[in-house]
Amino acid sequence: MGIERKIGRVAAAGFAIGLTMLSGAALAEGELDRLRDQGFARIAIANEPPWTEVKPDGKVTGAGPEVARAILKKLGVDDIVASISEYGAMIPGLQAKRFDMVAAGLFIKPERCAAVLFSQPDLCDAESFAVKKGNPMGIKSFEDVATKGASVGVVGGGTEEKLAIEAGVPRDKVIVVPDPQSGIKMLQAGRIDVYALPVLSISDLLKKADDPELEMFAPVAGTPIFCAGVAFPKGAEALRDAYDVELAKMKENGEFAAIVEPWGYSAEAAKQQNRETLCGGPN
Amino acid sequence: MEWDWEFVFKILPGLGRGVLITIQATIIGTVIAMVVGLFFAILRRSTNRWISRPVGFFVDFVRGTPLLVQLYFLFYILPDIGILLPPLLAGVIGLGLHYGTYTAEVYRAGIDNVPRGQWEAAKAANLNAYQTWRHVIIPQAVPPMMPALANYFVAMFKETPLLAAITVLELMNEARSAANFYYRYLEPMTLVGVFFLVISVPSVVLLRWLEKRFGKVE
Repeated sequence: MGIERKIGRVAAAGFAIGLTMLSGAALAEGELDRLRDQGFARIAIANEPPWTEVKPDGKVTGAGPEVARAILKKLGVDDIVASISEYGAMIPGLQAKRFDMVAAGLFIKPERCAAVLFSQPDLCDAESFAVKKGNPMGIKSFEDVATKGASVGVVGGGTEEKLAIEAGVPRDKVIVVPDPQSGIKMLQAGRIDVYALPVLSISDLLKKADDPELEMFAPVAGTPIFCAGVAFPKGAEALRDAYDVELAKMKENGEFAAIVEPWGYSAEAAKQQNRETLCGGPN
Repeated sequence: MEWDWEFVFKILPGLGRGVLITIQATIIGTVIAMVVGLFFAILRRSTNRWISRPVGFFVDFVRGTPLLVQLYFLFYILPDIGILLPPLLAGVIGLGLHYGTYTAEVYRAGIDNVPRGQWEAAKAANLNAYQTWRHVIIPQAVPPMMPALANYFVAMFKETPLLAAITVLELMNEARSAANFYYRYLEPMTLVGVFFLVISVPSVVLLRWLEKRFGKVE
């Protein structure tokens, strides 16, 4: 075999790879194959237990990643590699192909459905506030935050940020905390009056903070129970559908409950919801 | 990836508020840096070792650690010992102290450049330390430093996005909020760049003028 032919083959292979990268959307059916070949899926997480958690030894866990890990294994993708991201940066990151999926407990909401593909719901939770003991300002809803002139801590791009702004809390009273843990710190220091996150996150944070001066208020009046799903980029319909098939099977045979219930989530709540209703249309 | 003007106009008011905070932080930070730097420079020259050594150590310490770490200390750790600074105040103190240690070096160079004869003349005229500094040394030392000081002013301006880490709603944080809210980064981040350019380019022109006006060595 002459060296020219070898070069020719290498060039052809290089060209083919280039072509694959260029026409990523058109070859979406290949998305799952690509993940199988690379042996792992890149997921975005937020490090907000119990949704997503990075242990001190670097192990990625939490209800969201564990569900995704189990399903991907069934699909032939052995492992997940996680990067920590702000909630608001997850969807742009997905669009920019920085991650293959978001398994961070991203709530399924119509405006997000317009930007990405969601799996069927997996983790559901209600909204809550962490407040100083006895809830001194008597805040029971986001409207109360607005009318009483309180300041509320939220995670950037999270659902609570939107709820607060929609309820009329002025921008400078909606404090974006860099990560869930520093929110508790800011509440203790009195930099914020309430800290808004889902019930399971707040209970986890308060348990870890172990501060008798803080308590949880839940459920927040006027907010529904939200359900999260795994998000995929547009164009990855085949992958999403394959994921949904496995998720449905696991919900059926009890494996799903066995994963999420130890983290405090209700498997039943997730089963009763479906994506179309949460999105307000097909996704 | 398409540029969306409608979106631009929607986020512009928020970014405008951010620009004001950015400018405010830069100006207050600069004033603090100018004043603090002068004190550092003078105290470091003190003949009393109990003053010059600790000040020298502090200056080197601040210069040798990242501004971001200092901001975290001011914002998250000081409250543990009962000092609760509002975000913007913590931010300008951080910026001012950090850049104060740099301006201190500029002052030192300027002061060292004042000829020895001036000190001797002040002594001969029976001026005390305050009068010597106030009427002889500083008026001669400061003008040649103007360009270098203004340089740090522009540098500090470009560092203000770090304040986003301690929840100051300056330009970068407003842009991040907008991006987080609408899942679009293109317009907010481009506008941040544009705003910074619009302010820093005229500043550079001003700098050149300062250099021409004051920078010449006689």
